Amino acid sequence: MAELGRAALLLSLGLVAYAVVAGAHAAFHHRRRLAVSAQNALLAAFGTTFVAAVILWTALARRDFTFSYVAQHTSRKLPLGYALSAFWGGQEGSLLFWLLILTGYGALAVFLNRRQRELIAWVVPVLGGIAVFFAFMLCFISSPFGTQAAPPDGAGMVPSLQNPYMLAHPPMLYLGYVGLSIPFAFAMGALLSGRTDERWIVMTRRWTLAAWTFLGAGQLLGAHWAYVEIGWGGYYAWDPVENAAFMPWLAATAFLHSVMIQEKRGMLKVWNMVLVSLAFWLSILGTFLTRSNVVNSIHSFSQSPLGGWFLGFIGVITVFSAVLIYARLPLLRARTQLESLVSREATFLYNNLLLVAFCLTILWGVMYPVVSQAVRGETRSVSKPYYDFFLHSFGLPLLLLMGIGPLVAWRRASLRSLGRMFVIPFAVAAVTGGVLLALGYGSSAPGILAYTFCAFVAASIVLEFVRGRRATGSVVRLVARNRRRYGGYLVHVAVLLFAIGVAGSSAYQTIHEQTLKTGQSMRIAGYTLTYDRLDSVSGPNYTGFRAVLDVARGGSHIATVAPGENLYPIEGPANEASVYHDPRTLGDVFTTAQTIKGGSEIDLKVLTKPLVNLIWAAGFIFVFGSLVAMWPDAVEQRRLAERYAAAAA
Amino acid sequence: MTAALVLGAVLALFVVAFVARPFLREPAPANDDLGAMSEGQRARLELVEERDRAVAALRELEFDHRTGKVTDADYRTQVGPLRARVAAALKALQPGAERGCERIARS
Amino acid sequence: MRRSPARLVIALSVAAALAVFILYTSIAGAGTPQVVPTQIHKYVGQSVTLVGTVVSTRGDAHSTAGMRFVLSDPNQKVGRVPVVYHGSVPDLYKAGRVVVLTGTLRSGRFLANSGSLSTKCPSKYSPAKTSSKT
Repeated sequence: MAELGRAALLLSLGLVAYAVVAGAHAAFHHRRRLAVSAQNALLAAFGTTFVAAVILWTALARRDFTFSYVAQHTSRKLPLGYALSAFWGGQEGSLLFWLLILTGYGALAVFLNRRQRELIAWVVPVLGGIAVFFAFMLCFISSPFGTQAAPPDGAGMVPSLQNPYMLAHPPMLYLGYVGLSIPFAFAMGALLSGRTDERWIVMTRRWTLAAWTFLGAGQLLGAHWAYVEIGWGGYYAWDPVENAAFMPWLAATAFLHSVMIQEKRGMLKVWNMVLVSLAFWLSILGTFLTRSNVVNSIHSFSQSPLGGWFLGFIGVITVFSAVLIYARLPLLRARTQLESLVSREATFLYNNLLLVAFCLTILWGVMYPVVSQAVRGETRSVSKPYYDFFLHSFGLPLLLLMGIGPLVAWRRASLRSLGRMFVIPFAVAAVTGGVLLALGYGSSAPGILAYTFCAFVAASIVLEFVRGRRATGSVVRLVARNRRRYGGYLVHVAVLLFAIGVAGSSAYQTIHEQTLKTGQSMRIAGYTLTYDRLDSVSGPNYTGFRAVLDVARGGSHIATVAPGENLYPIEGPANEASVYHDPRTLGDVFTTAQTIKGGSEIDLKVLTKPLVNLIWAAGFIFVFGSLVAMWPDAVEQRRLAERYAAAAA
Repeated sequence: MTAALVLGAVLALFVVAFVARPFLREPAPANDDLGAMSEGQRARLELVEERDRAVAALRELEFDHRTGKVTDADYRTQVGPLRARVAAALKALQPGAERGCERIARS
Repeated sequence: MRRSPARLVIALSVAAALAVFILYTSIAGAGTPQVVPTQIHKYVGQSVTLVGTVVSTRGDAHSTAGMRFVLSDPNQKVGRVPVVYHGSVPDLYKAGRVVVLTGTLRSGRFLANSGSLSTKCPSKYSPAKTSSKT
């Protein structure tokens, strides 16, 4: 069956190559049948890639160790769910996963918009071109269908990946990364076809929002995985691979906001072309960073032959999009101009600038070791202090803008109207800041600023809902008639909760480490942890221990935690943290334990992380808000259908 | 190996047929043009989009005024030009008003 | 028509962002050197990030004497530097793994910062190897 898998991938390569060549020819010479044939090739490529994917999944499920890939990433005792997740767990499988999602998205996008023939005729070769790269890599550089004499058992899966979050985190990220190809392809298609209308934005609006949501949710899942699995009590380490997902998300955030200005005011057209290209470019860069070992990362891996190919592809995308945008600059001339620096348009522009600046400083930090090696002959790296500085420099103003933007009118806002709108949120923020200072939270300046700004934003969002409800009669009607705006406000609420959670759990956390014998206690931040006993545990493919600890506050028992370790015979040891979620602080008591010299004495590390659970709660609200924003609106659909019918008349 | 070969061949035949389908269905079509928008239709689409932008802007101004974001004085200043813009956009879309597209695009 | 202030806003903002950036890098310093064992002798007394493959280990990281291990250049047999480490030891740590840690070289020994040891995930994205597990 590996031969069939290889054949299916070769067919995919041939089909997407045809889609590029035939599609470009058809678009350039206005050939209808050839254009439809190229579209069919893209659809068929999804079919053949799906066949290849099913073959690999079947081999993983059956633990067919004649497939080298299966032998490298699974073992006989590995539970089925994790065996199937090995599909995206290795180099070759993850590339196949990329191609599967790309061709799937491409087929769906092209099929749903097939009546927009002129635009789709150009979108097809662009999508095909992206797919050609991945199909080529799979066929000739990094195939998942290599075979061997089957060993008695496989190498197994890294224990830290045997976690439910690892079933969801990579697929979500890929759905996000790959999803950014769609608005990019439509944007380039619009430029190639020489169109000046906004149809490509209307067609890709929900795609962009969906990709952005998947990318955000995927990052949160990864952060939660790191938090519960890695055992250092943190959720984000500014590691290059983590940044690789954050950067395209920031660019896509800027694009999502900025595109509203183009729709409403016909402005920022060049910005939007650059932003959508940047988001896609960063998604490919992220894929490159995780495979090339160009930068040192605790996630990154040994030298792979893919690095050079990815660099070449990134070069091609850069030149292609830059040349095309430059050549079509006359088409991207704004219809209107910014009338006032105090207007909602202006706040969106400031928003763009801050997001892009933050994104580029992260990019600089990620690439700094490469740049310093090239320029000075010495590899230097930046770390948390660098990223924290720019997180505060750009993140805090962004937080504030989230509250200011909705309060400012379009075109021009008078000082009187601003004063009227700002007075309540400003008062709420001032009171919050004062109370927190009085309670002793002034130890962290960024922390207290973040809380104060969050109070401002929360008040402005609540006021938006209150005023809107007064105008429309009910919150449901308000949201139903203005889904994008109020869905967006819900997403802002999620960002607020996230910011509060991050500020609380980083600026105000406490850490303590102590060696304990049975019966001994440790005190931290008002909690007392007493070491009760050491228990043995076992699972389908591991054995281990758990240090059972009693958690008390004020002399009363409140919880039992049991941190420990699992030992996987094939894969090795894995730390198992134990967390008590304290409803009083919305935070966690996070514990890890290691035995000393194999005896019953333990080295216990405890972190208290106030408000950390707001981060995870924010994830749910983030997804909900995005769903509201992208929910189909029958009135809007009718309006759009009338618009394009009127144009064609 | 044989099964894989046969399945592979079937798959290849299927995809080739699917890709060639447009030519098989219409071996000699009367019109094989992609049907690109004419300049007139493109100009009209821009006018229609401008109309929708102007109408949406007016609607937003009304909503912002009702919710108190825009003061009465600011509303009175802005509503006149917006209404004129909507009227101009509607007028430009009337039959025989193609020349109006230049005016709207630059307003 | 009045000239749009957008270009001015953008230019000023870019200048402001660059100023913030240049200020930071000039004051805070331009990063920490990232070195392998064969390079460490050039950075005696300086705080560096050391990357290397664990050759051998003895001792307990939680004891007073600490865990003592020897690092060579990543995935190579050249370069040897003895390391003294106190603090948490990651799950994946073992001989043959590539590790990263921060600290300072003094008197021929690398004194690692407590808790700074991290291991790289074993290679998922390496070229295919045949499994020899029995």
